[in-house]
Amino acid sequence: MKTSSQLIQDLVPRKYSIRGKLWVITLVSISVAGIIAYIDQVIQGQKVTNMNDYALWGIYISNFVFFVATSFVGATTVAILRLTKNEWRTPLVRLASIIALASIIMAGITITIDMARPDRILNLFVHARLQSPITWDIIIIPSFIVASFLLLYFPLLPDLAILKNYYRKRSPRLSKFYSRLSWNWNGNERQRAIQGRSVRLIAIAILPLGLILQTIDAWLFSTTYRVGWDSTNFAPYFISGAMVAGLGGLICVIYIVRRYRHLEDYITLKHFDRMGKLLVLALLTYGYFNINEYVVPLFTAKKGEVEHLNMLFKGDYSGLFWFVTIAGLLIPIIVLAFKKGRKPLPMFIIALLVVVGSWWKRYVIVTPTLLHPFIPIQGVPEEWHHYSPSLHEWLITFATLAMALLIITILVRYLPVIPIQRTAEEAGVEIQSVNENQES
Amino acid sequence: MMNNKNLYKIIALLLIFQTGISWAQDEEKIRPRIKADYFKVMDEGSYLELSTSARIERKNREVPHLELEVFQVIDDDDNSLGKVTTSAEGKARFQLGNIIKYSPDSSSFYNFLVRFKGNDKFKRASREVSVMDAIISAKHVVIDSIDHIEGTIKDVAKDSLIEDVALEVGVRRLFKPLKMGEEFNMTDLNGTVVVPIEKGIPGIDGNLFIEVAVVDHDDYGNVMQTIEAPIGVPIVKDASYDERSLWGPRNRTPIFILVFTYGLILGILGIVVYLINNLIKIRNS
Repeated sequence: MKTSSQLIQDLVPRKYSIRGKLWVITLVSISVAGIIAYIDQVIQGQKVTNMNDYALWGIYISNFVFFVATSFVGATTVAILRLTKNEWRTPLVRLASIIALASIIMAGITITIDMARPDRILNLFVHARLQSPITWDIIIIPSFIVASFLLLYFPLLPDLAILKNYYRKRSPRLSKFYSRLSWNWNGNERQRAIQGRSVRLIAIAILPLGLILQTIDAWLFSTTYRVGWDSTNFAPYFISGAMVAGLGGLICVIYIVRRYRHLEDYITLKHFDRMGKLLVLALLTYGYFNINEYVVPLFTAKKGEVEHLNMLFKGDYSGLFWFVTIAGLLIPIIVLAFKKGRKPLPMFIIALLVVVGSWWKRYVIVTPTLLHPFIPIQGVPEEWHHYSPSLHEWLITFATLAMALLIITILVRYLPVIPIQRTAEEAGVEIQSVNENQES
Repeated sequence: MMNNKNLYKIIALLLIFQTGISWAQDEEKIRPRIKADYFKVMDEGSYLELSTSARIERKNREVPHLELEVFQVIDDDDNSLGKVTTSAEGKARFQLGNIIKYSPDSSSFYNFLVRFKGNDKFKRASREVSVMDAIISAKHVVIDSIDHIEGTIKDVAKDSLIEDVALEVGVRRLFKPLKMGEEFNMTDLNGTVVVPIEKGIPGIDGNLFIEVAVVDHDDYGNVMQTIEAPIGVPIVKDASYDERSLWGPRNRTPIFILVFTYGLILGILGIVVYLINNLIKIRNS
């Protein structure tokens, strides 16, 4: 059994190693390249993209949908595990909250990037039609950012106070920083009661918010009558897909942080096993909705839908479609069904495959449909029937992904990735004495 | 020094060369085609619908801005009635007014000549139009509780009803009439057709404008009579744009969406305010 000081030593944030610094430099470089490309896009307009009258939503929207899906992990993992009082959740919830916050922030930024005139963003609020799902999206995304932040922040308060004490002599500047963030937390009964109430409330609230977020995201597509999107199945299909993307992302981050920070004593094989089972459940659910989405129309599809399905099954997008279906869905189910497949390294590889598959899945959902317009235009140029992102689009998209990873990296650097107070309590260590020991 | 013989040769060559240019210019001129159709709208007057076209670069093209002069031809005399210039689409309308003010020939035909006198690009061209005067009358009748339109055509010169002429009956619509009856409604011995009108055709205040016309007839050209009959279904103004709907403007948002959305916003804001208040309480505890 670990002592309180060992526990704190293990869990306090660490400075970047050389590899960590290289990682940050890489992410910053990609981000800067993307920012330069974006500035050029703002100056020249969206002609620098390969979007056209048909493919008017391109890679940016695919990326946006991916970020929204990944942010759902905060609602699923944190809220469900917290509300069902699953004790094994403790080492996982903080990272899930961090991923959720990073993803939803980048979702908000990505949708702004897709706007040709970001200076007109205020018009979205001033001239908003409440009947439009786009307006609901504008309302829900900032709301979910605030909710995700609060879901991360409230449980952090005791840990921030511990860090304040820990750094008092080691780094007064950091101690001051944590002191401000800890909001005068001293762990008295009243504070604990208020914090407990607040965490419960936000855990309850974020679940419907997450469902609403995903549903609105799905309705942005399914209310348009377009082939491939015009489906009552779309909201649950998106929600199940979001669980897959979010859990895949969470497992990847957990594996890397565990390995990098040597947290094997805290994030154990048991955690991977359970996360693996949870991911299998999510994948099976998603697989079920995929069958509904693609198999049922095989029997009932009208001409336009048949063309769309042919494009996916054996046309231009068949490679991507079968990759996301086989590599992103079937193989993970098969591998994770076995106990050996739920060991850390195989799970990391599978989760990585799931995340990559999830990203391309959004591309497969967005792009082929746009190439089959609801009202086709006569005599359009041949290039309108095809879409592949331009260099600007790739640079900007990679930059948003890098920025999301950068936010996660910075938060992992300055926040305890595993709740110290909670872990100490579960380990039967008196946290007050830990603080006193540190002060003495 | 050049002798006279050579000078004559040079002058002769120059003349031939100049004549050649002149021939080439003549060859470059295009002959336009003039189309002229006679129309008579009962109670309004008659007019000629004119258009000019030409075969240019192996394609038939409209020829715009040609000045056409219209004549009445009486016993080889051409009396000018006036001039008209074709539009950018190569079309023009020449109003004749009431046709009875013109003199027919011995066969009761009214003869008109449309002439283009030629210009730098186009050769001269002309088109003759010969028509007899006819009148169409129409009335609404009810036969076996079914609304019908009875149309009758009469030759004015002969003062006789015209048998076996196709009369078109249709309800006036924006682009072209909605045809009623058979494909060809041929007049009987009394120069009459009786065509049933379908029920349920919408019209302003339930009034339908029904056209009875002879179209592109060899002798009579185009003659049309229009009557108004209260046999349609009144058009009900679509007021759905003023209703609250999902496709309405922002000030016509359905109440349930307003309630749900504002409820959601207020609910989220309420929770956020409560949680921030809790943070302040934690700070002060």
